Amino acid sequence: MITFDRVVKRYGNSVAVDHLSLQIKSGETVILVGPSGCGKTTSLKMINRLIEPTEGTISIDDRDTRTYDVNDLRRSIGYVIQQVGLFPHQTVAENVATVPRLLKWPKQRIQARVEELLDLIGLPAAQHAKRLPSELSGGERQRVGVARALGADPNILLMDEPFGAIDPIARERLQNELLRLQRVVRKTIVFVTHDIDEAVKLGDRVALLSKGGVLEQFATPEELLAHPQSKFVTEFLGEGPLVRRLALIPISEVALTPVNGAAPAESVDAGGTLRDALDAVLRSSDGRVGVVKGDQTLGIVDADVIRSASMRSR
Amino acid sequence: MSVFQYIADNWGVIEPQIVTHLEIVGECIAITSLIGLGLGIAAARSEPLSTVIMAVTSTILTVPSFALFGLLSIWFGLANPPVIVGLVLYGLLPVTRNTRAGIKAVDLAVVESARGMGMSPLQVLLQVELPLAVPVILGGIRQATVMIVAIATVGATVGVDDLGQTILSAIGRTTGTIDAVLAGIIPVALIGILADLILAGIQRALSRGRVSVAAT
Repeated sequence: MITFDRVVKRYGNSVAVDHLSLQIKSGETVILVGPSGCGKTTSLKMINRLIEPTEGTISIDDRDTRTYDVNDLRRSIGYVIQQVGLFPHQTVAENVATVPRLLKWPKQRIQARVEELLDLIGLPAAQHAKRLPSELSGGERQRVGVARALGADPNILLMDEPFGAIDPIARERLQNELLRLQRVVRKTIVFVTHDIDEAVKLGDRVALLSKGGVLEQFATPEELLAHPQSKFVTEFLGEGPLVRRLALIPISEVALTPVNGAAPAESVDAGGTLRDALDAVLRSSDGRVGVVKGDQTLGIVDADVIRSASMRSR
Repeated sequence: MSVFQYIADNWGVIEPQIVTHLEIVGECIAITSLIGLGLGIAAARSEPLSTVIMAVTSTILTVPSFALFGLLSIWFGLANPPVIVGLVLYGLLPVTRNTRAGIKAVDLAVVESARGMGMSPLQVLLQVELPLAVPVILGGIRQATVMIVAIATVGATVGVDDLGQTILSAIGRTTGTIDAVLAGIIPVALIGILADLILAGIQRALSRGRVSVAAT
């Protein structure tokens, strides 16, 4: 559990973070999102004390972070940044071993941990351990960055716009992979982004900050999209928040129309979301789409099904 | 050309001069590299300090070598000591400048991630910044080496018995001047080229994945 208690960060006369109070529960993913200058990165970096607060306290499991040795604190928290910052002179394995090495783990334990992590991120050690960062693609580099952050199995993972510099297709893949990874590792993740879609997709809860580090709303993505609390939130959410919300509803949770007669020509996989279903509906010639699992058609989705499903879960 | 004849005839004199030359150069490179590294690190950390260090090390290079050796012999006596001190001073600028530049060229994201993972400032320096700056630092050491090999000959003016003596002895001769000068210059040039090639080899070997440097 990470607690921000009336945290203020001032640079001279300008306020970067203004009396931020926030509680992040263990095992949840909280997204700090907002326009540039909203203090989201500053807030993140105050957790591992790369930036020290001017006022207020940040505590981890009720212990004030200032009472830790700063390097011990940082070794116990995973940290991923947009530019990744892999050590270019070290191999993938050496990079991933960084924190265990700092903690002076025995060699064998480090090696086992590195192999475990490389498997976890889908870059098996046999093929990838000895590669250099310069030989990796942007997406691979970012995954190695995540593995490195998880090196010593920290409870907390801080991620500062980790996918910001990645092309949209690879980004989507990395986002899905992070969701999968989080189901396995169950860390407390604090994730900074300026992209509201990313926030809504990845967050258990989203903290929306406005310029000068003011917390506008702290809520689940569904709540945020359905009930924006201020004009700022509404504006930041932008066009079509309801369409966006469809991406949060799995088709498996929707009441489908039973198949009656021939199955529709167009189909969508049952593992997708209502957003995928809507896409298929728009693509189809008659507005009806079969939901398939393997070669089985489970039911039919059309505009009415989508609308009522989105109403119900609001 | 009877240069080689001259070298053969005087080998008894020239051989110990080559040895002395190599000894002086070796010592000076080692010392100037260590001090230059320290000054370069300090300069990379503090801008005001950097201004002072760069001004002083550049100014030293503007002092003519025989004047500097002469001046230093007031305190260090004759022969090797003042020359070693003087050559170390000359070597400082390239080593210091390149160490500073090499550290400054390290990607800030790499340094930030190192700090964020809990490396102490010393660990960041030793495990990240210096290893990444190695090719650039070696470039500075190479420049210093070539310079020191050449300027060491001027040590002959304050009594060092290195290859400079052979060159010095040629001055004022009525015959065979060119042979005698060349007999000093050729071994000096060979030492310089050889040292540079060796360092260039090391530099290339250590450049794997690091801050890229044009081989200068």
